[in-house]
Amino acid sequence: MHKYVIRRLLLAIPVLLLSSLIVFGLMRVMPGDALIALMGESGNVGQKELAKLRKDLGLDRPYHEQYLLWLWQMVSFNPGDSIFTNEPVSLRKAIPVTLELATLAMVIGLVIAVPVGVLSATRQDKPSDYVGRIVAVSGLSIPDFWLGTLVITFSAIWVHWIPPIGYVSFWDSPWRNLQQFLLPAAVLGYRLAAATMRMTRSTVLETLREDYVRTAWAKGLAGRIVVYKHALKNALIPVVTIIGGQLGTLLAGTFVVEQIFALPGMGRLTVEAILYRDYPVVQTNVMLVAATLVTLNLIVDLTYAWLDPRIRYQ
Amino acid sequence: MSATNPRRTARRNVTRRDFLKRAGWTGAGMTALLVGADRGRASAQTAAAYPDWIPASPKPPKRGGVLTRASAWDPPVIDPRLTQSIGLFQFAGLTSSRLVRYAFPDEASATNDLTLKGDLAESWQSSPDYRTWTFKLRQGVKWHNVAPLNGRELTAADVKYCFEAYGKEGVQSFTFREIEGMETPDKHTLRVHLHTPNVLFPQNVAESVTVIFSREVLEEDGDLKKRMIGTGPYVLKEHTRKVRVVLQRNPDYYDKGRPYVDECVILSTPDAATRLAAFRTGQSDILQVSSLSEVEVARKTNPAAIVQEYKNVLAPFGLALAQDKPPFNDLRVRRAISMAIDRQKQVETVFEGHGIPGWGVPYVYYQEKMPTMAQLGPWWQYRPADAKKLLAEAGHGNGFETTLFYYEYFPQMTSQVQLVQQDLKKNLNINIKITKLDYTTYYGRYVDSKWDGMSWGFQSGHAVGLDERTYQYMHSKSTKNFFRVNDPVIDDLTTKLRQTPDRADQRAITKKIVDREFDQVLRMWMPYDAGFFLYQPHLRNMAALALRRTDGYGSPTTARLWLDK
Repeated sequence: MHKYVIRRLLLAIPVLLLSSLIVFGLMRVMPGDALIALMGESGNVGQKELAKLRKDLGLDRPYHEQYLLWLWQMVSFNPGDSIFTNEPVSLRKAIPVTLELATLAMVIGLVIAVPVGVLSATRQDKPSDYVGRIVAVSGLSIPDFWLGTLVITFSAIWVHWIPPIGYVSFWDSPWRNLQQFLLPAAVLGYRLAAATMRMTRSTVLETLREDYVRTAWAKGLAGRIVVYKHALKNALIPVVTIIGGQLGTLLAGTFVVEQIFALPGMGRLTVEAILYRDYPVVQTNVMLVAATLVTLNLIVDLTYAWLDPRIRYQ
Repeated sequence: MSATNPRRTARRNVTRRDFLKRAGWTGAGMTALLVGADRGRASAQTAAAYPDWIPASPKPPKRGGVLTRASAWDPPVIDPRLTQSIGLFQFAGLTSSRLVRYAFPDEASATNDLTLKGDLAESWQSSPDYRTWTFKLRQGVKWHNVAPLNGRELTAADVKYCFEAYGKEGVQSFTFREIEGMETPDKHTLRVHLHTPNVLFPQNVAESVTVIFSREVLEEDGDLKKRMIGTGPYVLKEHTRKVRVVLQRNPDYYDKGRPYVDECVILSTPDAATRLAAFRTGQSDILQVSSLSEVEVARKTNPAAIVQEYKNVLAPFGLALAQDKPPFNDLRVRRAISMAIDRQKQVETVFEGHGIPGWGVPYVYYQEKMPTMAQLGPWWQYRPADAKKLLAEAGHGNGFETTLFYYEYFPQMTSQVQLVQQDLKKNLNINIKITKLDYTTYYGRYVDSKWDGMSWGFQSGHAVGLDERTYQYMHSKSTKNFFRVNDPVIDDLTTKLRQTPDRADQRAITKKIVDREFDQVLRMWMPYDAGFFLYQPHLRNMAALALRRTDGYGSPTTARLWLDK
């Protein structure tokens, strides 16, 4: 087990290095730079001044130098300064927002997905199954940006209420904070729930056809015990896999949902930084997301062993 | 809970009959939806017109309250030397003053009123040759009572320092490099010497972007990226990027009794649907929408909302051609292209019949009424047959291939670009390859002025003054000459305009500039509509003025706004 974890952690290094190269390269391939974005529509700045400003910001140095410098800054946990604010790149404010959103979305998604998936499987082809399947297929088909827009529009029209705009942290005002996060988390959670719900239904259906389940029925065990004690735990392994796979989608979803619900999370920060070519901010954000995904995938893999003791890591 | 019957787990086949039945229902549903949507659109087009001017309230103003606005913009940086972004100037005009300003809504006679008023300057006058301008500053104007200024008095030396800093570097340098030197004969007098005569200089220092910042902050911090301390009606209490800007009433503002509203809050809200929802639920007091149909949608839930049609006095966007290179350096080609574009169709379809066909210099500087299509001259009329003939005369009877790049400033712009592409293909066999770019890529390529083919060009949004709209955007030597105009007649006329003090003569010269621009098709303006404003019913003195939107570069007008609650 320990060897397996160490091997996975070592494998993460080339993955992260490759990610860093890709994000660095992509940002440099994109035309224009931060100064062009900063100047806006003024058109008043001469080439000489632009060259001076570029030099001040280190943007005139060869790419390999810029890359190595940034890499060094990353490993020494000092990712440099934002080109716009001149302040050190800090995700201190953005990370809690995205983390809260993603966690709430995950909770909402799982709370909906597992019971509805099980219900759908145990009542196959009955009205409740049809409803569950429609809900699941809709969740997979409806894009986050559209659902988010619909939710905010119809809340305003029907109940004359939308989440309060202007982020407030949980520690400053828990109630206002929850009001701000509930709808966006529900929008994100719905998509996560849809995929998980379908997988739960399929795997529970499959498990319910296993011999040991038939034996359990034959022993005269109550339906609840057969489903929850015997079938569900075994059915959950593929579900955990799909949840792991959904984490990337969940993080990508925060980019859109944070825009719609005006939450200052990592998604919004990254989108703005890309548009303004704020290289240090984009690079740091992307690397953080990459590291998070690598870690979460490892955690998901390790969870298998807990769920199924037959699994051994070599 | 029932167990699953394995037999029922077999996959159910969908028969051909089932499929057709389901497809039929889906089709019927979609048709019903589309018909419904189309009806909504048709009724919106016939909606009643809204006034373009809301007179000041006759009631005595009330003090207090909080004005909140959901805003699409965030400032990239709060240093006014580094950006002219609307994200910054939506509140910089409230924290900081300028030497001179334009009339506020409660002083203006109508939306087109461009009368200059003193802001920090009480009066100003020029030397007979218009090379020296003397500004007499108000006495007793205090900086915000925040360290390191701590409410000290503003002096002429502060303004001199600020103008010198603008001239040294940054985006304002073009305007301020016109200054040869400055002197401060006394504490409240600033004398500005220009390199060349300019009767329009006071307009240039009245632009919303020429705010006076403090010497102490720049010297202590080395830049203006962290603090914004001014002499304006509001003090910056909080600026949290991508969250909110909170402005608190300045009790020491020189205009005693003003501003009326205690606190202004700008909420960063990038999504248009969220801004609409915020207005509907009362979280935002002001909403800007692009079309009549959007006004009607908002009024369904907020029938008491006050609506103002924003006065379109110019079009900020147009088709820019690489007119210094073939084939666009041939006047016949430019004229043919202009005649092959159906602008009226764009107005009717893209802007729901509400836009203007397009011109670049605000018409208020040369005539009373909005120009008609006919007044734009022969080359701006839709005459595809004549266009084809002219293009053939220029040696391009079979058309040609070209490129066009653009950034989508607003959703309708993509439709406009595509309509131009269709018109030019259909009428002149010109094949255009369109590239849609993100803002930074577009801007970098556009202002570099080395591109070939076509671009969807722009002129800045903030400028009110005539000098900026003529000399600075059209003179061949100006760094703002994005349309690459290189016309000796225009150079002469724009320079002459700067030396002409009489208002009537200025109007005559401006008309000549505009006529020359239209005749030579130097900038091919495209239809535009600035849309509508919706205000909560308790807002007073909030009208947006031509070229000065309350929610954008015209934010200083908020100083006279009050809440009737």
